[in-house]
Amino acid sequence: MSKNQRLAAVSSGLLILITLTPVASQLTSTMRGHVLLQIPLLVAVGIGFGRSLAPHLVRFLNRWNAMGIPGILITIFTIAFWMIPRWIDASLTNTSVEWIKHSSLVLLGGIPLALSWERLYPVARGAVKIEFLSMLFRLGWLYLISPDRFCNSYLLEDQIWLGWGMIIIGMALTLTWLVPVFFGEYAPAETGHSSPKNPNEAPNAA
Amino acid sequence: MTTSTPSPLTGSARAGILTYMGISALVYVLMMSLGLVMRLTQATWLDLPPNLFYEVMTAHGAGMVGISGLAGSGVIWYFLRRYVDLSTGILWANLTFFLTGVVLILGGIFLGGYAGGWTFLFPLPAKGLGAWGVPGAASFLIGLLLIGVGFLLLYLDFARAIIAKYGSLGNSLGWPQLFGGSTDESPPAAVIAATMVLIVNIAGILAGAVVLVLILVNLFMPEFALDPLLTKNLTYFFGHVFINATIYQAVVAVYEILPEYTKRPWKVNKVFLAAWTASTVMVMAVYPHHLLLDFAMPTWALVMGQIFSYLGGFPILVVTGWGALTIVHRSGIEWDMAARLLFLSIFGWCVGVVPAVIDGTIAVNQVMHNTMWVPGHFHMYLIVGLVAMLFGFMYYLSNQSKRTGIDKVAFWLYLVAGVAFSFGFLTSGMNSIPRRWAVHLPEWVSFSQSSSAIAAVVALAALVFALRFLTSLKHARTT
Repeated sequence: MSKNQRLAAVSSGLLILITLTPVASQLTSTMRGHVLLQIPLLVAVGIGFGRSLAPHLVRFLNRWNAMGIPGILITIFTIAFWMIPRWIDASLTNTSVEWIKHSSLVLLGGIPLALSWERLYPVARGAVKIEFLSMLFRLGWLYLISPDRFCNSYLLEDQIWLGWGMIIIGMALTLTWLVPVFFGEYAPAETGHSSPKNPNEAPNAA
Repeated sequence: MTTSTPSPLTGSARAGILTYMGISALVYVLMMSLGLVMRLTQATWLDLPPNLFYEVMTAHGAGMVGISGLAGSGVIWYFLRRYVDLSTGILWANLTFFLTGVVLILGGIFLGGYAGGWTFLFPLPAKGLGAWGVPGAASFLIGLLLIGVGFLLLYLDFARAIIAKYGSLGNSLGWPQLFGGSTDESPPAAVIAATMVLIVNIAGILAGAVVLVLILVNLFMPEFALDPLLTKNLTYFFGHVFINATIYQAVVAVYEILPEYTKRPWKVNKVFLAAWTASTVMVMAVYPHHLLLDFAMPTWALVMGQIFSYLGGFPILVVTGWGALTIVHRSGIEWDMAARLLFLSIFGWCVGVVPAVIDGTIAVNQVMHNTMWVPGHFHMYLIVGLVAMLFGFMYYLSNQSKRTGIDKVAFWLYLVAGVAFSFGFLTSGMNSIPRRWAVHLPEWVSFSQSSSAIAAVVALAALVFALRFLTSLKHARTT
């Protein structure tokens, strides 16, 4: 079994686990499990599928994905859509919406992200990361101060948990992304002036 | 020890830098004129309605901060591209975002009536009390957001280019030489400064991006009640870091031009490296000195604000001041306009921080913070420090730095009037005259009248500098 096939198999297994087994209802039983676990895992499944696509298919899709911009925009709008509370609610009460959620987050969230990320200009990758962080902090703050429930299906207390979860994840991601920027996956230990193998090859900016 | 190796500017890069600095020169004169209008109003020599006064005050503040950011980034881009491969497209993208943001800000102020100050302190944007409504405040805040996006792209490009060459930001701050015992040559001063600036400004813009959007949410949905203290912390973290970083960008002109003039390298030693690393941290930690009057702030944060107010700028100021003195001492430097203005700017920076340090003392702050003492600090710091630095760079860039008679007159007028104007604010503050008041008591009017006359001289001298630059663009440097 090739590496791509293994990745596709693992992604398929994860997809079945979080959508078809009792784990799915466990995840969606709380707002934090739904938003902070199931949705990111569905995107991760899509990333897995995207990375295991056959090269000729990737080349074909890349023809419509100049510099990765169309793909990343599809990902951003898909994830933003599933941040809308009424659709979170709808996915819990309407099976069709639930399946649309599963399929869209995999097909329009994760796969375009996998196909686009490396093609994006490093500055655009940095901008996406910064905007993602600021969105986590904004939403986290909003969830904490909202006087009402955003979702009918979840309690206010659960919403507050979600708010704190977003802020904590935002802080953790900030630290995770800062460490290589400061200490460098490209940095040789002994010298301050060494360049990466190809100085014109732009690394991750932020 | 480092020397730059100027390479030719591409046509687009040269046009970009000239556009940055040309716009900056014009806007500085325009904003100084708005400042003069405010002083004339307080002097009762001009009958400006109070609502218009506060609109002018908001435009003056936002304009000065924004244009200082633009001009400072132009200076550092010009020198940084000598060492790393920067994107000219992003230089232009930043300008496009900036100008779009400016249109929205001006629309918010002069069409929408927003007059809550450039610091948009919560809940002011939502409390126009009839003077402005949601559209004006929203336009102002969205304009700021757009400007932030542009600068974010620019600093991310700095990060990309620096990491591509040096491997990490730690390397480009000289940490291997500072902490690791590396004997390799340190990165150039311009790279170190750019690294510091991108770190603090990306952090600041992230905070700004959060708080601006949350205030916008509150504007349209007041039921989302923000914590005013948290909002104020984030606002000042963003605002203070941004304006503070302008001088750390512009100072690269000192590091690059004085060595070129004196034929002596600017020495990047361990003290220099330590100073920039220390200030990287302290610039981000000093902002609580804006909140010393907020009794609900944790005591440790206020103490930190005071301590870092004392320490924050000093490391870089000391190494830069000392470096500038030693590099010109017996160097036979030709004191043309660029050299003079750059040297003056170091003086302005040094004296400009003194009132800030005094106001950063909690006991003093509780009495002085809402007086004109504070504008005294930042006018000294900006007029005699930052803006002198930027005009010095413009003379250098325009390649017309030889002094003419009008230059000599303008330089001395700018120096004397700039210092006198700032002292006008400081003495007003010492006499408990409040800041941000459109109408002054009769006892205060004489201060404003003398300041108005002096402000006119400052603006006139700046107009000479600006015109000298704008009429010399065709002679501007090509490397």
